[in-house]
Amino acid sequence: MIVHTINKVSALGLCNNLIAEDDKVVLLEDGVYLGLQPLPFLVFAIRFDVDARGLGGLLAAHTESIDYSDFVRLCAEADKVCSWF
Amino acid sequence: MSTILFVFSRPPHGSINAQEGLDALLMGSAFTTCSVLFVGDGLMQLVAGQSTDDLGTKNFSLSFGALKDYGVTRIACSKPDLLARGLNKDDFLIEVESLNAAAMQAFIRNHDKVLNF
Amino acid sequence: MNFAIVVHGAPYSSEACLSALKFAKAVLASGHSINRVFFYHDGVHTANSLIAPPQDEAPVSEQWQEFGTGNNIELIACIASCLRRGILDETEADRYEKSGSNLAPGFTISGLGQLIDASINADRVVTFGV
Repeated sequence: MIVHTINKVSALGLCNNLIAEDDKVVLLEDGVYLGLQPLPFLVFAIRFDVDARGLGGLLAAHTESIDYSDFVRLCAEADKVCSWF
Repeated sequence: MSTILFVFSRPPHGSINAQEGLDALLMGSAFTTCSVLFVGDGLMQLVAGQSTDDLGTKNFSLSFGALKDYGVTRIACSKPDLLARGLNKDDFLIEVESLNAAAMQAFIRNHDKVLNF
Repeated sequence: MNFAIVVHGAPYSSEACLSALKFAKAVLASGHSINRVFFYHDGVHTANSLIAPPQDEAPVSEQWQEFGTGNNIELIACIASCLRRGILDETEADRYEKSGSNLAPGFTISGLGQLIDASINADRVVTFGV
């Protein structure tokens, strides 16, 4: 399992066909706007970035808000981390 | 020793990201097994015939010819991104493998670390 | 588990260096370690001691200094990126005959080999890009 981080909406275009079925996606910074729509991946969004942008009530049902400690845990569980920006 | 996959996604000259990415790849290949994957507008780094004399930036594309000499193991690009830009491999400075989505996923899986630029 | 952290973004110009700091703190709080933080590209601006933000904005560079010094973690700013952007320690200021040096305490200027070494030896590498 690979964790892919995405920090802006446009970066999804770089990686959307590189994300395997069992991979996980962490949205951070402006990447959290991607969490408004359902995505065909297992998606997490950094809560600080979600709250800062007023998106708390607007995330798609499958976007899970997480803290940095969860982000670290996901990275530790993954084989590697791939950062898209 | 860990193998490293470098992923280049920025076009050249508009910012220094591409050039500093290449510097990191050349350094990496001096230490360990490294490969490179070009995705998105990163493919534009490979286009032949770049001429920066009038622009005043460094034409670092010339260094791509040395990647094999530096021991960079595999040089690959995204086939979907190649097609999306109306390019073919003959437009490139060097020989590059083009990989479909499944092959790119395997390429990433087969390296220990990924450094994105 | 041992983490290497790579920062590409300058303070205030991007969120990268703030996100990376929050991540780094969470790594230690989770009982993991950090072998090195490597500042590359515009990330080296974090190491500029002359940054003077308004009082109501987070002093990101100082927070990184405190984090590095307080936890004995190497904060390395890439020399090539630094020289291009005017981040100099005393040695480099002398070498290039510049009027002063501005490398913040807690940071060290060193080569790209430090990025590769950190990447090879860490269990995980996480990049905060722009």
